[in-house]
Amino acid sequence: MTNQLVISRGTKRSIVRALLSVALTLVATSIIFLINNVNPFLAFIYMFQGAFGDINLLSETLIRMTPILIVSLGLAVSFKCKIWNIGAEGQLYIGAMLGTIVAIGIGGGPLALLAALVVGALGGLLWAAGPALMKVKLGINEVITTFLMNFVGIYLVQWMISYPFRSPDTLFPESAAIPSTSALAVILPRTRLHLGVVLALALVPVVYFLLERTTFGYKVKVVGESPEAARYGGIEVGRMIFVSLIFSGLLAGLAGITEVMGIQHRVRGSLSPGYGYTGIVVALLGQNNPLGVALASLFLAAIMNGSSTLAWTMNIPMGIVDLMQGLLFVFVLASEPLMRFLERRGVLKL
Amino acid sequence: MAITPLSSPFFNDKEQDNGKDAEYAVFLKGITKIFPNGTVANHDVTLGILKGEVHAILGENGAGKTTLMRIISGILKPDSGEILIDGKPVRIRDPMEASRLGIGMVHQHFTLIPEFTVRENIALVLATSGWLNLKKVDEKITSVSKSMGLEIDPDSKIESLPIGKRQQVEILRLLCQDVKILILDEPTSVLTPIEVDSFFRMIRDLKSSGKTIVLITHKMKEALQISDRITVLRAGRVIKTIPTSEANEALLASLVVEGMIPATVVRRGTPGAPVLRVESLRVSDDRGRPAVDGLSLVVRSGEIVGIAGVAGNGQKELVEAITGLRRVESGTVRLALHDITNKPTRFIIERGISYIPEDRLHRGVILTMGVHENLALKCIGKPPMSRKSVIDRGLVLRNAENLISRFSIKVPDPCTSVENLSGGNIQKLIVARELSNGGEVLIAEQPTAGLDIKASEAVHQELVALRSKGIGILLVSSDLDEIIKLSDRICVIFGGRIVGEFVPENLDIERLSRLMLGAE
Ligand SMILES: Nc1ncnc2c1ncn2[C@@H]1O[C@H](COP(=O)(O)OP(=O)(O)OP(=O)(O)O)[C@@H](O)[C@H]1O
Ligand SMILES: [Mg+2]
Repeated sequence: MTNQLVISRGTKRSIVRALLSVALTLVATSIIFLINNVNPFLAFIYMFQGAFGDINLLSETLIRMTPILIVSLGLAVSFKCKIWNIGAEGQLYIGAMLGTIVAIGIGGGPLALLAALVVGALGGLLWAAGPALMKVKLGINEVITTFLMNFVGIYLVQWMISYPFRSPDTLFPESAAIPSTSALAVILPRTRLHLGVVLALALVPVVYFLLERTTFGYKVKVVGESPEAARYGGIEVGRMIFVSLIFSGLLAGLAGITEVMGIQHRVRGSLSPGYGYTGIVVALLGQNNPLGVALASLFLAAIMNGSSTLAWTMNIPMGIVDLMQGLLFVFVLASEPLMRFLERRGVLKL
Repeated sequence: MAITPLSSPFFNDKEQDNGKDAEYAVFLKGITKIFPNGTVANHDVTLGILKGEVHAILGENGAGKTTLMRIISGILKPDSGEILIDGKPVRIRDPMEASRLGIGMVHQHFTLIPEFTVRENIALVLATSGWLNLKKVDEKITSVSKSMGLEIDPDSKIESLPIGKRQQVEILRLLCQDVKILILDEPTSVLTPIEVDSFFRMIRDLKSSGKTIVLITHKMKEALQISDRITVLRAGRVIKTIPTSEANEALLASLVVEGMIPATVVRRGTPGAPVLRVESLRVSDDRGRPAVDGLSLVVRSGEIVGIAGVAGNGQKELVEAITGLRRVESGTVRLALHDITNKPTRFIIERGISYIPEDRLHRGVILTMGVHENLALKCIGKPPMSRKSVIDRGLVLRNAENLISRFSIKVPDPCTSVENLSGGNIQKLIVARELSNGGEVLIAEQPTAGLDIKASEAVHQELVALRSKGIGILLVSSDLDEIIKLSDRICVIFGGRIVGEFVPENLDIERLSRLMLGAE
């Protein structure tokens, strides 16, 4: 609720913090490139080209961004409440699976699409509800429960696509394809860019509004910053924790089903290369601000797609994606103490 | 920076020497501190603390007292100026460095870890080498507390100790670090007069064992009683340093605040029908032991009921039970026609109970959120602050601006986060929010703790005004003067029960004190 026109000191600080984390990641990656006799400048240029070089590459990056953005917007809400949902990956798979079953069951048409999206989102919500209940009713740490539920969820989906919902017409364990009439429409001819990206981008202002303009967002913030003050102020702390956690599950599920309806058209074991985990880095890098999260998810998507170009131009293994993501995670976490250190030393004046 | 001190006729020539003189334990020369948001907290402060003296610092809320002390103890860095310890210029980089120089500070808000025992809390600051030698810590605690004549069980948890004892632990912790200069930031603001007495005895003992003590307070009486010299700060500058023998209350008051302090005219209220009715209430404390033990109490509309008592006799639990923050074991709490026993806090707030909590930092505000957001805490869920869950941001801001000017809260702008406010201004914020709530009952716990004389007066006036509007007020305070001044009825609490009741007209202070100590 800060004044809109002037960028507040806090916002400025957040931006500097994010940029600092990115800069440190790039520096550290450069060092690793140098050790391996790779020119880092060249490498980053190839990476950039690989992500944004032409309309096709750009649309692939946006496609990549779509599920990451949807997941991390949800995580931003739960992180604001200081609820650490580490289980978005599992919620994403469950959402994708349930939504796909509905889409195939209804069989074609926009109604099936809509139903699939709704059910997919609810599936993610459902998968988050378990840990949420355990947190609120029994006080069990959500980090552990949400994380462990990932394995349960992912293996459950593996089993479902291996046995009960296995497609009859393929050799691999995967579900049947959704009817093409219910897929998310392609919005740019001769690319795979689909309506999902519009949905994801539209969610940015929605979540922003939710966090900054509604009493829900206000309460989430108060509970996150000071549960004791929240209790004193008459805010139902348990309820806010529950709602913010299942909200992040809702968006994780939506991300999963969007990926199916837009790109994969069926559930495979390889549906997500860890979007649920990437979302954590993105939400942290974007400092739980929907706009920041949007930029951060574009950045991570660019790293992912740029790296594959890097892989075949400079013969660098694809593992570089995980490396950079890991470094980013470390530096985002380290950036706050680092900023404070710099401020104390008077190097940084904000 | 060559800025001549304000109001030079007041300026004390003695301090103008260069401080190289070794008779000064601490000498501050031209200290200026400007916070990143532009607030000038200290402006060219020159101040000497003599070895072995008790030096009181007075000043309005936000005058820069805490900031100055934080600079001495290495928590903050001055933007310009010099610090001399024992006549030698030093740079105090961090609190560790300060502690090596023999400087230690007890903060305005306690920093002991409540879940830890006394021993653990002290071990935490002594463990500088990475090794924790608990036996050595124990020896240190025993020898120091023996020499000070303190009776503290090293195994008791901090949360189980009354405020007065916690204070002693804070000081014990400093002494275990072999501190020579003790800085105490408003140590007496939540102590009862009895506790203040024993606290002052300890200060005198410390002084006679050669320690130097700097003490911040808002109470003129205390400064006059305990100190050797007094320095008054206003708006970040030193107004005057005088020997206590040359000071009196009126002089100090005129130095601390500009202009006259309007004295509250307190006429007794005209109580109406009962609004808050507590009957045979039983409540347990955090460790499950009975804290409120069959207590009954009535507050009528247009009446101030004062609860007098030594902290730790069930006041906290009583208030928490009324406000829905603690479970009631048995008995009832009724608000006008509603039974509010064990109802959710939100329900109780909506039925019209406002509450100024004692634990202002953790309960009363959200430190990392803006002043405007904090001021809206209790009313954001209702129209006109929000409609259909959508917040009217303009109104939130206007509401904040109103309250800030009405209660003269000192803030750079209404959106700064509360952590940037001085202690007294945080208190003003809470008071502003709770007094403007409306409702039928106000529960005020230490409403003027940490407020300067002017702000205390203003709060008293607001309380009296609320009373004449027919609101029932339950005043819980360790400040007996405050209770006597405002209350229509005084209830003495001891061991979780009301053990005596007085009307101020025929008050027997002797008997009141005896009752507070459970001597009857
Ligand atoms: N971290 C900070 N950032 C910005 N401004 C600050 C910060 N800390 C204090 N201030 C401002 O500096 C001024 C002096 O604050 P300080 O805490 O020293 O006052 P004080 O004399 O101790 O008051 P009180 O009696 O209320 O405790 C206040 O106006 C306060 O708002
Ligand atoms: Mg202070």
